[in-house]
Parts: sequence; structure tokens; C-alpha cells
Amino acid sequence: MTEQIKTVYKSESLMAKRIRKFRSIKRGYYSFIIITIGYLISFLSPFLMNYKALVISYDDQLYFPVVNYYPSDTFGVDGFGEANYRDLKGEFKAADNGNWVIMPLYSYGPYESLTDRRSEPPNEPSLQHWFGTDDRGRDVFVRLAYGFNISLSFALIYVAISFLIGISIGASLGYYGGKLDIYAQRFIEIWAAIPFLYTVIIISSILKPNFGLLIFVLSLFGWIGMTYFMRGEFYREKAKDYVHAAIAMGATDFKVIFKHILPNSLVPVITFGPFMIVGAISSLVALDFLGFGLPPPTASWGELVGQGMSNIFSWWLVLFPLLAMAVTLLMVVFIGEAVRQAFDPKEFSRLR
Amino acid sequence: MGGMTSYFLRRILLMIPTFLGITIVFFFVLQIVPGGPLEQELLKLRMGAAEMGGEGAGGGGGSDFGGMAIPEEAMEEMKKFYGMDKPIHIRYVSWLWNVVNLDLGTSYVYSEPVWDTIKRRFPVSIYFGLFGFILSYAICVPLGVAKAVKHGSKFDVGSSLLVLTGYSIPGWALGAVMLVLLGGGSFWDVFPLGEFRSETWEDMSIIGKILDQFYHTVLPLVAYTIGSFATLTVLMKNSLLENMGQDYVRTAFAKGLPEKSVIFIHALRNSLIPIATGIGHLIGVFLAGSYLIERVFNIDGLGMLGFTSILSRDYPVTLGFLVIAGIIRLMGNLTSDMTYALVDPRIRFK
Repeated sequence: MTEQIKTVYKSESLMAKRIRKFRSIKRGYYSFIIITIGYLISFLSPFLMNYKALVISYDDQLYFPVVNYYPSDTFGVDGFGEANYRDLKGEFKAADNGNWVIMPLYSYGPYESLTDRRSEPPNEPSLQHWFGTDDRGRDVFVRLAYGFNISLSFALIYVAISFLIGISIGASLGYYGGKLDIYAQRFIEIWAAIPFLYTVIIISSILKPNFGLLIFVLSLFGWIGMTYFMRGEFYREKAKDYVHAAIAMGATDFKVIFKHILPNSLVPVITFGPFMIVGAISSLVALDFLGFGLPPPTASWGELVGQGMSNIFSWWLVLFPLLAMAVTLLMVVFIGEAVRQAFDPKEFSRLR
Repeated sequence: MGGMTSYFLRRILLMIPTFLGITIVFFFVLQIVPGGPLEQELLKLRMGAAEMGGEGAGGGGGSDFGGMAIPEEAMEEMKKFYGMDKPIHIRYVSWLWNVVNLDLGTSYVYSEPVWDTIKRRFPVSIYFGLFGFILSYAICVPLGVAKAVKHGSKFDVGSSLLVLTGYSIPGWALGAVMLVLLGGGSFWDVFPLGEFRSETWEDMSIIGKILDQFYHTVLPLVAYTIGSFATLTVLMKNSLLENMGQDYVRTAFAKGLPEKSVIFIHALRNSLIPIATGIGHLIGVFLAGSYLIERVFNIDGLGMLGFTSILSRDYPVTLGFLVIAGIIRLMGNLTSDMTYALVDPRIRFK
């Protein structure tokens, strides 16, 4: 009985309303689905795009080179290291004695130099290499796909850290106010005036950058914009009755900040997220392009563009990575636009 | 007016601690982290000594450095040259004193006053900064107005897609794409492959000079403009839309004014306020130069100088560039505030 009444009278929660609104904005909703699925699939890249065979049946025994290392003589091939599984597949087929090889869908790896080709790399796009090869003979398509995963992971971690710092600092400034607020504001003003990409370049020209260091340095500057917002939000909320009530009932500062005010101020901040992802990815591509990004041989979009600018005739080194970046960023912007409309609806009343 | 003067006086005074803060951060970062010019020089010496097969090691009585001996006096002299013989806070104060006296030091690479090195790059950066700035306002303001007037129409939705695409492509990336497509690599040979002018520019006729400059300007200028294209257009549109929902617009309509004069005479004037205040910020950004765009197009401007000075560890130039860029930026912000005060009569100063 009570169950029934609940279902009858339960009105749509604010969050449910927002999600419904988000889903109704097709451009953003589909971009969200495509990016999410694409990102999840990209974790399986080693099984989809690799020079290592998935399964090999040799003398009635199964081998899994993609997860295990087998010296080449395991399969009766002379030479050091691993066998060339692409060649092996052809040989087994020609010999026709019951042995077989299953290759991944796209049988080239991201770090594999294909310098044994007849022509000098970089090679033009062809049937084997859809987007051509780079100046070390590595397959551009595979590197773009691996780079997608790296870029997005980078951006997501960066956004998470920046959120954490920005929200904590903004919240404490807005909540405690006073001298702390005044001094911290001056400090933030200085911090915000520092040209951040230039600073990152200085730091990575001196220290050898890696994934963690780059995220750390970028996050040092990523939190500022959000802090202003959180500070204002906490300042406003603090004066409201429900906060006074909570304090009167003896709630600790910690509890007031995290349990009472934060849930109310967090929602508008979420709309910052997609645009921060756009900023993070384009910063990473720019740094890689300048040669101050992720260390080689990481698969990176910007590094390919950098190669392309010094080999102006190898158009595929510039166009494909930048196309990948532009499409990815455009979809993230669509998501951001939809999130903003769903979470922070601004209807313009046009008179006449 | 007295309130305004004292307000801006306070603003200018507040810029001083900000400026000091920035220079302190950079000065200390550059001096503390390893791999500075002194270490680079020592490394070079050590490599040189190693190449000579240790012949130079016979000096004797020197400090031991990586197995090779460098004479004590030479070491001292080198430290003195790079200013490393004093503690860091003293070095900062003396550097700052020189900056206040308009002396930015001497470039290690160019062996000339840093100011001269920077000064030579100004015309190029101002050229692109100014034209990029004018072009972006000339495109974005009318586009934003048109989008606001036709809010929700096919034109608005279609151009929004263009704006969002512009937002997703950084200026330097678009520049790289244009260079590959139109720079005569594999596709069309319409525009030159970067550089500010042709090498033979000096010998050209006046018309030839203008044409040559124009050819070299088009692509970088488009790249500069795209950077502010999206934000400026959306700002203009939203600002006008907001004003069109205000009471004074209702009044204007109610007294029977035609739509055109309501929008273009009443609403537009007020909606230009936030656009006008962006002028200072934008000028600051444009003038400090985009090293990414300058690098793509191989233009030897201010941004490129700042970038190469890091690569060659020419720290006086790096610091000088930061000082100049910082001043330009702070001045830009100040200009913004002043414009705001001038165009918006609602602003009162306490």
C-alpha cells in the first residue's frame, strides 16, 4: 500500500529532470554515447590493433602471443626475438598443414617500426596502412587510436585533480572568508597572471616530463577558474537559513561544508568539466607538438603534427591527427553545450 | 571624476605586487631547477675536454668536475658571468633593481642588451596582433548580432555549428592544416610556407612589397583570428539577447518604435559594453604573441623569441620576455577596466 502511494506521488527529482533534458539534446547525447563507448573500446586496443597474433595453433597446440612472449623458434622460425606473425600467417596458409594464426583486426602495433619496406618512411596512406606511416615507419592509424586513449585519460585525470583542488580551495575561501580569503585572493591573482603554457614549457624543458608530471604541472594551473566560482557560491550559500540551522544544531565545519553546502554548489560546477577536457587535450597536443609533452615513444597526436610540419609533403601526418583532435574536441564541446543547457537552463525571453 | 582617478590609482598600485609575484615565481623556477646555463656551459666544457682526450686536464689544482679538472679561477669567472656567485635573493633584488632602471640585462646568445633583442621583434608581433584583433572584431560583432536577432533560426543553428567547430580547433592547428593544404606541399600552392616576408622583400617595388606582405599575412592572420572567434561571437550574441529581454526594450517596443531601431539603437548600444571591455584583454593576448602560431608559420616574433630563449637557456631573454609580456597583459587588463568605466555609466567608484 505504502509502496503504491510512493510511486504515485513521487515527483521527478531535479537530477532526473536534468538527465531527461540532457538526453533530449540529441547532438550532445549521441556525442556522449560515442565518446564513452569509444573510450571504453580503446582500452582493448592491444587486442584490436597489434602486430602480435591473438591465437596461434601450431602442431595442435594453442598459443596466445598477445599476452605471452614466445621466441620465434617456438613456431619453427629462425631468428631472434618474436616471429613476424603477419608473415607467419601467410606461411602457415601456404603450407596448409593444419596450423593457423588469428591476427587482430588491424595487424600493426603503435611502436612497431616498419623500416624494412622498400620505400623510405613516412609512407603514404595505403590499403595496409590506412593513414600512412610516420617518419620512423610506424602506423599512423594505430598511433592515433592509442593516442585517443592517452589524450582522454590524461584529460580526465587532469579534470578530476583540478576539480578536487579548485573545489577545496574555493570552498574554504568562501566559507571561512576573512583574512585567509583576502590573502589567498591576492595569491590567486598572481597565480592567474602567470602564462601557464609557457611555464609548463620551461618546466618540461628542464625536467624530463612524463604522464604524471605533466598532469601535475597542468593541474597546478587548472583549478583557478573554478575557484572563483566555488568561492562565490559558498559565500552566498553560507548566508542562507539552512546553513544557519545546521550550525545551530551543532554541525561541524566539515559537515556543513561537505554535507550541506557542497551538494548545492557542486551541480553548476559540473558544467565546467567538458570545457576543461577540451582545454586539457588541446594543451597536451600543443605541448607534444612543441616537443615538451609526453616522452617518446608514447603515441601522441601532437608529436605526429610536429613531424608533419618538418615533412610538409607528408600531409597525412598533419591532417589525420588534427582531424582526430578536432572531431574528438567537437564532440566534447557538444557534450558540454548539452550539459550546460540541461544543468543551467537559460531561456532568453525575446520580446516580440 | 575624482573617485575614478583614485580607483585607477589603486588599481595601478595593486598591479605592483602582482607583477613582483610573477617575476619572483619565474626567477626562482629558472634559477633553482637544474640544467641552467651554468650547468650547460660546464657540460659543454666537459664534453670538449673529453673529446680532446683529457689534454686540458693538466691544469692542476682545480676543482674536480666529473673527472675533468676545471681551474678554480675559470669556474669563479664563469659563475660571475652567469651571476651565480651570489645567493639567490640577492641576485633577484639586483636583477629587479636593474629592471626598474630599465635594464633587462644582456642576452647570452645574442650578446646584446635584452631590450634590443626584444625590441626588434615588436613590429612583427604588433602587426599580427593588431590586424588579428581588428579582423576578429570585424567578423564576430556583426555575426553575433545577426545570430541574436535571428535567434533560433536556421542561420543561427547553422552558424552555431561553425562557432563550436572554431572553438574545437586551436588557431595553430588550423594554421598547420591550412599550411599543408594551401602552402604548396601536396595540394594547392596558393600561399607561401610561412615566414613574415620573402627574403627578397627589400628589393621589390612598392606594389610587389604590398602583395608579398599580403600573401604572407593571410594564413597566420586567419589562425590568429580563430582563437577568439568562438568566445567573442557567443559573448556578443548572449549580451544582445540578454538586453532584448530587458524592460527598457519592452518600453521601446510599447511606444511603437520599429524593431530595427529598438534593436540597433537601444539594445545594441548596451550590449556592446561587455564586448568593449574585452578589448584590453584581447590586445594583451595578441601582443604577447602566440609562439604556437609563430612556430607553425616560422615567424620571428615576440612569442618565438620567448620560446627559443627557453631552448637555448638564454635566461635573461626569457625573463625579459616575461617582464614585457606581463606588463602588456597587465596594461591590457587595466585598459579593459577603464573602458568599462567609460562606456558603462552605471559603474560608480567608491
